[in-house]
Amino acid sequence: MATREAGKKMIMLKSPDGMEFEVEEAVAMESQTIRKMIEDDCADTAILIPNINSKILSRVIEYCNKHVPTTGATGAAASDTVAPAALAEDLKIWDAEFIKVNRATRFNLIQAASYLNIKGLLDLTSQTTIDTISDNSLEEIRSFLSTKNDYLPEEEQTIRRENQWAFQ
Amino acid sequence: MADPPNRGLPDEISIWEILVRLPPKALLRCRAVCRAWRSATSTRDFLLAHHGHQLTLPLLYGCTNVGVQGEVLDIIPFDHRPGLAAADQLQSVARLVLGLSYPCVEASCNGLLLLSLGRRDFFVCNPATRQYAPLRQIYGYVLLGMYPHSPTGEYRLLLYWDEDLIYPDLAPGTQDGSYVFTLGSGEPPRYTGYPDSGILMFSNSILFHGSLHWHIDKDASTSNMIMLFDTTSESFRQMRAPVVPGHASLFEMDGMLGMSSFNHAATTIDIWMSQDYDSEAWALKYRVDLPVTDLTAQFGKFTETWNVVVTCWNGDVLMLIKFGEWLLQVDADGKLVASFHRKLVRFT
Repeated sequence: MATREAGKKMIMLKSPDGMEFEVEEAVAMESQTIRKMIEDDCADTAILIPNINSKILSRVIEYCNKHVPTTGATGAAASDTVAPAALAEDLKIWDAEFIKVNRATRFNLIQAASYLNIKGLLDLTSQTTIDTISDNSLEEIRSFLSTKNDYLPEEEQTIRRENQWAFQ
Repeated sequence: MADPPNRGLPDEISIWEILVRLPPKALLRCRAVCRAWRSATSTRDFLLAHHGHQLTLPLLYGCTNVGVQGEVLDIIPFDHRPGLAAADQLQSVARLVLGLSYPCVEASCNGLLLLSLGRRDFFVCNPATRQYAPLRQIYGYVLLGMYPHSPTGEYRLLLYWDEDLIYPDLAPGTQDGSYVFTLGSGEPPRYTGYPDSGILMFSNSILFHGSLHWHIDKDASTSNMIMLFDTTSESFRQMRAPVVPGHASLFEMDGMLGMSSFNHAATTIDIWMSQDYDSEAWALKYRVDLPVTDLTAQFGKFTETWNVVVTCWNGDVLMLIKFGEWLLQVDADGKLVASFHRKLVRFT
């Protein structure tokens, strides 16, 4: 059973490498996947998060902690004294710092955000990848995403010609 | 879980989280990256998901003659988000070399386009995959609208047939009235009744709240109305509309149904919003005085009074209007915000 601390319901998240993270239910529910488990009463004991190692999971929790709406007893102080615009600006700066990670970590975060269904984290982590794809050549996109070109050279030429204007 | 340094993303994630969010031009390029991406981005589910990530923007199109290839059709959304350079606001998202002369974009729905030649030969086109197919079964019909039929997931066309229209060579015994045709089916259009639906062919339909809507202009002295076609039950009904002089255009803004209309002198635009859609209550939101004399002097003649597109961004109302060879963007105070020299651009 989840424990209680200062009137807040806590949830235990477990990574496949055996680490356990105790987080506030509201924080865990930033993930729509976990929210659904909790609402369907599938979350009595610890929730095992498959495929997301402890290093990535701790970063995801860090993100959710920062982005959970600050209401209730402890959050009141922050939202009472700081204007919403300033809060949003602060979050933007925090996000920009958060996403300064290497490519492998960013890809792991995208997968975690996708599995856990955390829209804000997915938008944040996928945007840099989208920008890279939008600004680079096919060869650079392939090497960036480690995707193999399985077209014959003439096939690739035909497909390029179909949408010639998109390559200009 | 140790990751090899060069591991990319699983295809599932690349396609459904990354490619699906790409701008249209980058997506077209990515179809040449590998086979899996090309086939995945050709599916109906992907098209729908990708469309869902795009902003809803007013759609314009233009044709350019490029010599041997014939006409090139450009599909150009008007991106009115602030902070964009003028050149980026009118960027083609699809360029189609169709080998057809003067194609016309009749309707669009979830990223699918319906094109016609001279309003009688129809084609359905998926600009993302460049597939297009002629719709021979509906030759001679008048297109009233295109919609997704939610109970079946099919795309359907609402058509009109009238014996007195100009095609005497078609199947005898066809009844006057409205018809429904399912895209991709081999069946001929199905008669749905409502012989008076011919009045709908003179105005453009918009899809809102699961119904197609047309503004019907009657005599200026009588009350105007909006005709609705419920796309689930596939039946017609009427809705009250504010009394305006003559023609009005419908649009969607902030999740509400809007209506714009010119006064007789074509100097002011009234913008109405349906405050309560269900009770059919309308309110006049803006009356925009257009500096027609100044704009005409600068850009040329203003003739297409029916051609106004109202858009909204962060609560600011903007209008797109054609003056001579220019496309002008005007705000709610009638102030000119931007001008684009685009001779051939047309609104859909």
